[in-house]
Amino acid sequence: ACDDGEIVIKFSHVTNTDKHPKGIAATLLQERVNEEMNGKACMEVFPNSTLYNDDQVLEAMLQGDVQLAAPSLSKFEQFTKKYRIFDLPFMFKNIEAVDEFQNSDTGQAMKETMVRRGLLGLAFWHNGMKQMSANKPLIMPGDAKGLKFRVQNSDVLKAQMAALGGSPQPMAFSEVYGALQTGVVDGQENTWSNIYGQKFFEVQDGVTETNHGIIDYMLVTNVDWWEGLPEDVRSQLGTIIQEVTATRNAESFKVNQDNKLSIIAAGGVVRELNAEQRQAWVDVMKPVWDQFREDVGQENIDAAQAINAKH
Amino acid sequence: MEVAILFGMVIGLMLIGVPIAVSLGFSSILFLLVLSDTSLAAIAQSFFQAMAGHYTLLAIPFFILASSFMSTGGVARRIIRFSIAIVGHFPGGLAIAGVFACMLFAALSGSSPATVVAIGSIVIAGMRQVGYSKDFAAGVIANAGTLGILIPPSIVMVVYASATDVSVGRMFLAGVIPGLMAGTMLMLTIYLIAKLRDLPKGEWKGWGEVFEAGAEAGWGLFLIVIILGGIYGGIFTPTEAAAVAAIYAFFIATFVYRDMGPLARPEGERNLSLMQKPVALITAFFHRDTRDTLFEAGKLTVTLMFIIANALILKHVLTDEQIPQQIAAAMLNAGFGAVMFLVIVNVILLIGGQFMEPSGLIVIVAPLVFPIAIELGIDPIHLGIIMVVNMEIGMITPPVGLNLFVTSGVAGMPMMRVVRASLPFLAVLFVFLIMVTYIPVLSTWLPTTFMGPEIITK
Amino acid sequence: MSDRQVSDTSFGRIVNEIEETAIALILGLMTIITFINVVLRYGFNTGIIWGLEAVTFLFAWLVIFGVSYAVKVTANLGVDALINVFPPAVRRVLALTAAAIFIGYCSLLLKGAWDYWANFANLPQTTGRWFPTGFEEMKRTSYRAWYEVVDIPMPDWLRWIEPLINEGETYEKIPRFIPYFILPFGMALLLFRVLQATWRIAAGRADNMIVSHEAEDAVEDVAHLNRES
Ligand code: NA
Ligand code: NA
Repeated sequence: ACDDGEIVIKFSHVTNTDKHPKGIAATLLQERVNEEMNGKACMEVFPNSTLYNDDQVLEAMLQGDVQLAAPSLSKFEQFTKKYRIFDLPFMFKNIEAVDEFQNSDTGQAMKETMVRRGLLGLAFWHNGMKQMSANKPLIMPGDAKGLKFRVQNSDVLKAQMAALGGSPQPMAFSEVYGALQTGVVDGQENTWSNIYGQKFFEVQDGVTETNHGIIDYMLVTNVDWWEGLPEDVRSQLGTIIQEVTATRNAESFKVNQDNKLSIIAAGGVVRELNAEQRQAWVDVMKPVWDQFREDVGQENIDAAQAINAKH
Repeated sequence: MEVAILFGMVIGLMLIGVPIAVSLGFSSILFLLVLSDTSLAAIAQSFFQAMAGHYTLLAIPFFILASSFMSTGGVARRIIRFSIAIVGHFPGGLAIAGVFACMLFAALSGSSPATVVAIGSIVIAGMRQVGYSKDFAAGVIANAGTLGILIPPSIVMVVYASATDVSVGRMFLAGVIPGLMAGTMLMLTIYLIAKLRDLPKGEWKGWGEVFEAGAEAGWGLFLIVIILGGIYGGIFTPTEAAAVAAIYAFFIATFVYRDMGPLARPEGERNLSLMQKPVALITAFFHRDTRDTLFEAGKLTVTLMFIIANALILKHVLTDEQIPQQIAAAMLNAGFGAVMFLVIVNVILLIGGQFMEPSGLIVIVAPLVFPIAIELGIDPIHLGIIMVVNMEIGMITPPVGLNLFVTSGVAGMPMMRVVRASLPFLAVLFVFLIMVTYIPVLSTWLPTTFMGPEIITK
Repeated sequence: MSDRQVSDTSFGRIVNEIEETAIALILGLMTIITFINVVLRYGFNTGIIWGLEAVTFLFAWLVIFGVSYAVKVTANLGVDALINVFPPAVRRVLALTAAAIFIGYCSLLLKGAWDYWANFANLPQTTGRWFPTGFEEMKRTSYRAWYEVVDIPMPDWLRWIEPLINEGETYEKIPRFIPYFILPFGMALLLFRVLQATWRIAAGRADNMIVSHEAEDAVEDVAHLNRES
């Protein structure tokens, strides 16, 4: 509990505290703030959606009832359509390219695009690249045709599944395992850490290493609250956040690779694509860009592609 | 300390006649405003999200609606006839048939009071006609009716799953074996009492009656196949199953049994066939009976969800003040193991069950004990079944027991008399509770076999 | 037994009919949309993508609208074991105390509901922690009419609101102030019904605001079933 006189910082998120990349980062942030800012500020973390889910938390943040949150980037499409760039398939080659884009001027500027709507981005937190799984082998894009895929609630992801000839199905996260198992839905897309953590591989034929998209988070705050903080508190908190971000983001690739190996060790099937097969997926999914080019802005796409070329 | 004041206030308000929902909500709001910096707007958000943000709770209105269509649509009556045809000739036959009918109806309906009303209203009268005492009849039905929440589908399981984020499908599977067991134990008890006291038995009417009654009831019973087959066959989620059940029950009641809707005729006359009145295909949707059934189910949903929504505000207080963590820490420090913990859970629920309606109680207690249970290595599904069985007992113990009230209404006898009448069977349920608590495999075997081991990612 | 407060006036009957039909209609819609989505997914490999969100909003509407009706017909569950022990005079005092608490509850929730909804409609929240003490000065975060729901597309016949509230920008999805409107509306209606019910108790026309159990309904149902069998 917080002492009197300390600034209370409530951080609400939706994962566990010790296994998920976001949960680990939140826990580390909490430890450092409570130790180094003792007497000035105090952080309370509410994990596992105990306080708010990802949709409600942003409303609560604007209302001033919670100070920090780290929803996945698709949730910010509500605030500015520019964020759709992160959901577009094959926009980024790998997590290093994502990292470089987010740290570029273009990426950093995106953190402030929501200020007019009351949110300020503080840091991008990585989860990792998305893979695709189904109850049958996915080798060529045609294999996904006619399958029902559970996707996150995002217009881009729905369009992406439609481009594959699959049918996108919105579904509460807690129902996904059961739905995959019984066949209410046939497949899903997620990062290695989520596929391992939620044990989806147990109820799928296999996971195909498509690396076709990313799931990342943004640590956000209410801009009025942030600007109202005493100067020294704000700068110390900002520094801790940057350091935690750097530490955890550097680990994220390893976390996902470990989870991939754990899946194999647990008897899950992982399929890799050769260059030709991968190109076939790109050819089918990339046209989705055209539907959202205007929302995202050509200059942002160009910036992302320039960075891709380097990796 | 604060938590004691909070719960004391909730109970105090209830006892002076404040509606349960308001007792929960008002106490919680006061606490949030005094102790935390939560705004009234956040509380209103919680209230709205109780419905809009809890997708699994949607099963509640749908299961209530399916029950309403079946009760008004003559499904219960046909199930009873079928049950009598099968087990009516044993000693204590009609009573055993009553339990059997409750089990069958429980497999269609998600609610215990609904089961008592549907089956009890007919069976109690029938039992008295063949010479059972009113007390015996009421005691049997009040107890057997509690199976409504243990045999899937179950509204209380849906609430538990929603409060703790476990899978509804798993909970449903977990209830099957305990449900059959509890029903069998009740039937055996009746059989023994019947042998000792020489209670009346019916006559065996032959296989012809079994098949004829079975065919009649088959349309209703097929719903079991639809619900379970649909969920585990990958056609729909448990939530959607409830909606499909409601639609199916509507069609059976209106177009097959024709005991309600445009094809129904008053007592003594033959109901119309669809050929005689094809326009019914359209008018059925707007018929007064349809509207009234929808409205009654809607009203029950509202009163139930009003309590749950306010219990969720209380949950917001508990979360915000991090009370479960404090209690968990205290219990772990005190060195309590899983066994002692389960005893405490049973006691809390049995006491709570005296004052509260099951769904509301589950919403409050589940988030409190769930994290501790995980910490102690107790299977979340097993914990859920224990809670459900506790709720069953709560329903037939005074002062607040929905099944007691409903049975006293149905049988037309004072509540305390129903309480006394239920006692012998209540003892059976107590033994059953102890078995379920300390033999986890009863609850976990079926879901583990069909769905793999439970994942704990918390 | 039946002291249900259904008005005798024809206006009261019409209001009653509207309320009951609305409750039936919302539940019917929820059921049908869910069912159609199952059929579309299983049978045709497709689905109404906004169906799920629409149903959850209808669910909230059903409960928040319906709860005032439940007060009107005294259908809220409560515990009457203790109050029935007391003599009538004490019971009356307790009933009025309970009513006062119910009024307090509604008033607090009504303020909360307004504060929550107002910014989504570009209107000011009230100030004050417990009681409204005035209206806030609008800040950057106070304008949230741009905030859309996740799935339900904006129908064209609603486009006329865009210049009024969204600075002329088009909505892809319906704005949140539409589904959330039920909160202040429902809470205002609830407060009204609770005041009415309190007046009935004060005037000696009702004992309290709770039905202690479902026995009443059950007995009605039984009568109905027995007629049939
Ligand atoms: Na049931
Ligand atoms: Na009880």
